[in-house]
Amino acid sequence: MKLKQLLALPVALLLVFSLNGCGTVTAPAATGKVFHYGTMAYGPAMQNASTDPHDTYCGWSTVRYGVGETLFKFDDQMGLRPWLARSYEQVDDYTIKIKLRDDVVFSNGKKMTGEAVKACLEDLLARNDRAPHDLKIDAMTADGQTLTIRSHEKMPDFINYLADPYSAIIDVDAGIHDRIAIGTGPYKAVRVDDQGLHLVKNENYWGPVKPKLDEVLVYSIPDGNTLTLAMQSGELDAVQGLPYASLPAFEKNGAYRILSSPTSRVYQAAMNYDTPALQDQRVRQAICLAIDKDNFVSVLLRGNGLVAAGPFPDTFPFGQGVQGPAYDLERAKELLREAGYTHTDRDGYVTKDGQPLTLRWLTYTSRQELPLLAEYAQASLKKAGIKVDVNATDNYKDFLKRGAYDIYAQAIVTAPTGDPGYYFMSKIYSGQPYNNGHYSSPVSDALIDRLNNTFDRQERFRLAREIGQQIVNDDAVFYASFLKMSVVMKKNVTGFAPHPCDYYEITPELDIH
Amino acid sequence: MGKYIGRRLLQLIPIVFGVTFISFLLMHLAVTDTVDVLYEQQSGANAAAAAAKRAALGLDQGFFTQYCHWLWQVLHGDMGQSFVTSLPVSTTMLSKLPATLELMLLALFLTLLISLPLGTLAAIRKGSIWDQLARLLSFTGNALPDFLFALILLYFFAVKWHFFSFLTPTADRSPLLPALPLAFAMTAKYLRQIRALLLDELSKEYVQALLCRGLPYHYVLTHYVFRAVAAPLLALLALSAASLLGGSAIVETIFLWDGVGKLAVDAIMLRDYPIIQAYMIWMSALYVLFNLAADIICAYVDPRLTLRKKED
Repeated sequence: MKLKQLLALPVALLLVFSLNGCGTVTAPAATGKVFHYGTMAYGPAMQNASTDPHDTYCGWSTVRYGVGETLFKFDDQMGLRPWLARSYEQVDDYTIKIKLRDDVVFSNGKKMTGEAVKACLEDLLARNDRAPHDLKIDAMTADGQTLTIRSHEKMPDFINYLADPYSAIIDVDAGIHDRIAIGTGPYKAVRVDDQGLHLVKNENYWGPVKPKLDEVLVYSIPDGNTLTLAMQSGELDAVQGLPYASLPAFEKNGAYRILSSPTSRVYQAAMNYDTPALQDQRVRQAICLAIDKDNFVSVLLRGNGLVAAGPFPDTFPFGQGVQGPAYDLERAKELLREAGYTHTDRDGYVTKDGQPLTLRWLTYTSRQELPLLAEYAQASLKKAGIKVDVNATDNYKDFLKRGAYDIYAQAIVTAPTGDPGYYFMSKIYSGQPYNNGHYSSPVSDALIDRLNNTFDRQERFRLAREIGQQIVNDDAVFYASFLKMSVVMKKNVTGFAPHPCDYYEITPELDIH
Repeated sequence: MGKYIGRRLLQLIPIVFGVTFISFLLMHLAVTDTVDVLYEQQSGANAAAAAAKRAALGLDQGFFTQYCHWLWQVLHGDMGQSFVTSLPVSTTMLSKLPATLELMLLALFLTLLISLPLGTLAAIRKGSIWDQLARLLSFTGNALPDFLFALILLYFFAVKWHFFSFLTPTADRSPLLPALPLAFAMTAKYLRQIRALLLDELSKEYVQALLCRGLPYHYVLTHYVFRAVAAPLLALLALSAASLLGGSAIVETIFLWDGVGKLAVDAIMLRDYPIIQAYMIWMSALYVLFNLAADIICAYVDPRLTLRKKED
């Protein structure tokens, strides 16, 4: 009897644990049309686990999930269009006058006025760490639905920054409660935490297309395998960020649809100009010629990429026309011979003065494509006689700071504000801290200086193409490919598509049938 | 006993102090800090913004100033704010601890539920089918990585049979499925330990003497052998429990379990010092308290330990 009692206790405890939730596949209480969306791009590690756009990178969540909107937005060709604004006028090099829409209301029913936008931007400048340095705002005045902004530096790309998610317009008087901001978007947040968001239809939505769903549930699923299984289980309506290896399972299944869009996230390898061997352009050129980008994209990325010629995809107006080097292994070998690498050692690597040409390829693993690129480059360059030591580490920043690399490969969004200026100033201009190759070209610098003082958009695009071509001509950076972002959804989902700038996901058009 | 417990609890102070100092030092030996990590991840920011952020977080101060500032805050009951989310560290930790506690206690319970009877059977029926089964389980559990077992479980229970929902919030979800891979891996180790301990004890002369005097086998087993092996088993259990309550980032990530394991790993990757320091305090306290609890229980279960101490 005693033994039975003794055994009864653990069995009872186990039953309590087992029956608590398991075996009852129940989604959170929801009514009407509910959209379940799994994503790898949300969570504390992404610094966006809130809808407060002024907090770090949380604006991405505000705009992505339809809680907030910006004054201007990007179209599918990355052209700028008014959104909460009606139009703008560049009064002089330092002053811009923005006319706001008269029919916009926040989700709490309050009208969006010039004063409300001014208060929001002031809060942005006070609380966000990047905005004051990006926007360089000197003064703002609001008059009815007109907002006049004066900057203390020439800002040809000012409007682009107003399309950055941190510029999402929220009602600052309503405050931020439990990471919930009051925006103007088609949905409003009712729960925001590290695990995801619960959104409901904004009944006060001002736009011409009204939100079609009653509720949207966004789930943070940071593991690719779990995300795949969650989609296969049928519980999710759409997912973003699936590993490439998982896509064929959905391509073959008629119940799903996959949509892709090229983005400006480029996989690039910067040549370190502090490395003596890489100061010789023939060596840099040989590296660029010896890696077959087409093969990399079609085989290793399984077609989930776009071959890169320069820093921007040719679907962007400032990325068109840049000519990159075509794969030519024989020419690469010839260039190495011209550079003095005339002998080979027992392993087949070229040598100069008895020393093999060995390069340290630094990269990180958090982007699945980068280790692939590193291994592919290692194998490709071996054919040309160049030895590559791959260092794929998530502690790569320590190596960067110590200068312990010859080539640094990374994934970077080159046009986060839909303008080329940011990338050139950050990654290419001489002496900049993120110019990891320590590339310094008077020609490129002069062109970037001109770009920084050019307001005409067409002229900016032309200059950007010229700078891009100059970088490629100097073989300063090897541009491998652009990320093609894919979303997988059930066949009954409509109005859901990836956008080149990665800002807009949940829109009023989104529906399930 | 009261004095003994008091003395052991006092030991917690230098241990926590030492562990947090070393972890703080190790973090600062890295060339990069939170600001480097945060901005690099998002395409970088200009130098002025990075410098302002560094100053706001106090990272422009010297190492000792930063440590003393942190220590002063902690002594005043303030664990600070996360560098990444700006949320209070204590709130963040406390919000994740219940889920980890629930998961890990169940994993520990399942481990004991399987490994104690099966390990005992494997020892007293050496060479039998039970022994073979225990060996198979042990080898499989040690060879199979927990993430793979977790994915296999998910495939069947979530995709095929729909017993597990990805959409249910952690608080409303059963911890049984996520606990299984943890328990499986730990059971694999415990089975061999329990079997070896029992076989060693069963081979001792006093056991043979008791059996020769006509005492029933199960009586000798439950009243003498189990008491004798309780001390090493409890010591092992204390270490496992402390290790488990530190969370498991892999299992938590795969099962979308909102616990401290993933929080700690994310904090290390993002160099979120206040979270890492809070986690170090939690882990130090766990190890000290669980070992203390094991020692106290051992003293009651096996009085020889107390007697030996008195003789010493």
